[in-house]
Amino acid sequence: MGHVSRARQFVSDEARTKWHDEALWSIRMNRDRAADLVPDWERLRTEAASIKRNTLSRLPELWRQFEKEATRAGAVVHWARDADEHNRIVAGLLAERGVERVVKSKSMLTEECGLNPVLEKLGIEVVDTDLGERIVQLRHEPPSHIVMPAIHLRREEVGALFAREMGSPPDLDDPDELTAVARRDLRERFLSAQAGLTGVNFAVADSGSLVVVTNEGNADLGTALPRLHIASVGLEKIIPQQADLAVFLRLLARSATGQPISAYTSHFRGPRAAEVEPPNAKGEAESRPPELHIVVVDNGRSRLLAEPAFREALACIRCGACLNTCPVYRRSGGHSYGATIPGPIGSVLEPSRDPARHAELPHACSLCGSCSDVCPVKIPLHHQLLTWRARLAEAGHHSKRRRIAFALVGRLCLRPRTYRRLTRWGRRIARALPASWLTRLAAPWTRERALPEIPAMSFRELYRLRHDVPDVASAEDPR
Amino acid sequence: MSGSRDAIFARLEAARPPASAPPARMPAPAMPADPEAILRARLEFAGGRLQRASRENWPREIEWPIELARVTHLYSACSDDPVGPDRGGATLPARGVAENPHRVHDLAPLEICVLRGQFAVVENGAVWQVPATPLERAAAVLAEHLIVLVDEQALVATLHQAYERIDLRDLRFGWFLCGPSKTADIEQALVLGAHGPRTMSLVLTRD
Repeated sequence: MGHVSRARQFVSDEARTKWHDEALWSIRMNRDRAADLVPDWERLRTEAASIKRNTLSRLPELWRQFEKEATRAGAVVHWARDADEHNRIVAGLLAERGVERVVKSKSMLTEECGLNPVLEKLGIEVVDTDLGERIVQLRHEPPSHIVMPAIHLRREEVGALFAREMGSPPDLDDPDELTAVARRDLRERFLSAQAGLTGVNFAVADSGSLVVVTNEGNADLGTALPRLHIASVGLEKIIPQQADLAVFLRLLARSATGQPISAYTSHFRGPRAAEVEPPNAKGEAESRPPELHIVVVDNGRSRLLAEPAFREALACIRCGACLNTCPVYRRSGGHSYGATIPGPIGSVLEPSRDPARHAELPHACSLCGSCSDVCPVKIPLHHQLLTWRARLAEAGHHSKRRRIAFALVGRLCLRPRTYRRLTRWGRRIARALPASWLTRLAAPWTRERALPEIPAMSFRELYRLRHDVPDVASAEDPR
Repeated sequence: MSGSRDAIFARLEAARPPASAPPARMPAPAMPADPEAILRARLEFAGGRLQRASRENWPREIEWPIELARVTHLYSACSDDPVGPDRGGATLPARGVAENPHRVHDLAPLEICVLRGQFAVVENGAVWQVPATPLERAAAVLAEHLIVLVDEQALVATLHQAYERIDLRDLRFGWFLCGPSKTADIEQALVLGAHGPRTMSLVLTRD
């Protein structure tokens, strides 16, 4: 099932579609208001884009520096070529230490790697702790947005879910009360977890630090309590130095939600300090020393880096602004993309992972260019989507229908006389047909639109008539 | 696995884009005319609250989220008179579970956590804070209410100036805190107190 049919399912619920569209648009408006309060906003975007461009040309040096600094600070750095290797490393670390329950804060990377089912198979309980992510985890579905995982759900659905999973009253639908229910349930899990898993917003090369940003504080509870912290980070998340954090953090939350900054912006360098515990009867410390393991993941990123047309997509800081502004995303819902990352940035990233599976995504776009306009790091998203269409067509990933249609149109466009003759006859026939026939012929375009009146003459004919000029183009046309 | 490490570095080397010029740095924006008003507006936007008090007498001057006399469990970064330039500030002893905690988990019942922040950022309402111990860091997210004291002189205009005052190489952990823990994951309705503090006050202290 492709994007179009999944989108059709989503829009069949008109009230939900309207709500979804308006909710995301209001976030886009919040983003605009926040950006307007920063007088140097456009210069900030330019600087961010140039830092990223420079960074992408220095990845080997920067990661070596990061590894050296992080190791010096007491962290252990692991390298994973792909999702399987990432999952094996994380599972191994947890299994070696006999971990039974982990609390996880939001990480699109572990989502991309499919970590949860791997750990669950080993009997490890994985608790997603971001409220939205907990909701979709309990519903056994993927996030529909990279910043707001449960944006596709209404409060009644969350109420029914919590009644089933946490025993809250079945008619509870107040967001305050529902959040309180989840808070109680999750607090117990935070306190009993033996490990905290997090994603990473920025890895800073010159200090070996990791920066993790949340509004809920879940990454902080998840790393301040257990003694084992495992951070999964994609190769694209590195930045050269701490001064760069100012640029990206000024852009990130404003672009994502319209907040000047998120509630928690935490900087980790090495494992957390240990509490001074009284020794036990044998005079030994009872707990293991705190550990920080950083798993650096490639999983297709180096392949994207090798592609001049698409490598700038690696500059993405996962703010979600392109999703919130996208007219297709807003009206078709995140799940319609059938990909870990939906929306414009997902439609650029996912085809490089699996071209056959995601060939339709670059077409889920009207090329309006709004995504490129709001992108805080100036990724030319709509240009990349257009390039993908050509690439995927050349690689034979288009449907037979689309291939035949494009071949015919292509041939026709090379023969102006034939084109003019055909369109002239087309107009005559269309004008002679009853309107109801035409509407049916033009479906599904006419499902929500009225057909315009069919003109008697083409633009060229009108122009010649009004200006009394000879048809130069057709005189020069050898065919 | 060193095999994977080497393989990844080889791939990155093979895919290396042409060198690009180092980015031009823009000048950091100057301090606005009325920093406190902007700081207050940004913090309130984040669901937090700005208060003012004197350094010698803040425990009696600020508005507490719960009446102080009724608080059983309180973590205080001000339980002793601090050394150095902060000397002479009011002290507030820890209470209940925070009096003699061994593990971070012992602090779970905290009602209030009082911290000292290093400086506040006017453009976004955040305060930079470096927890003195792992207990302090856990206290800040476990407590129901968070109060952070900052010297009224310690304001910076934007994050650019903030990072000029920080050296991450010297720091095991530090964070920007802005308002209480919050979520809007259910129908975009803002809820304060997602996992951590339900309220947060930033207290500007004067000599």
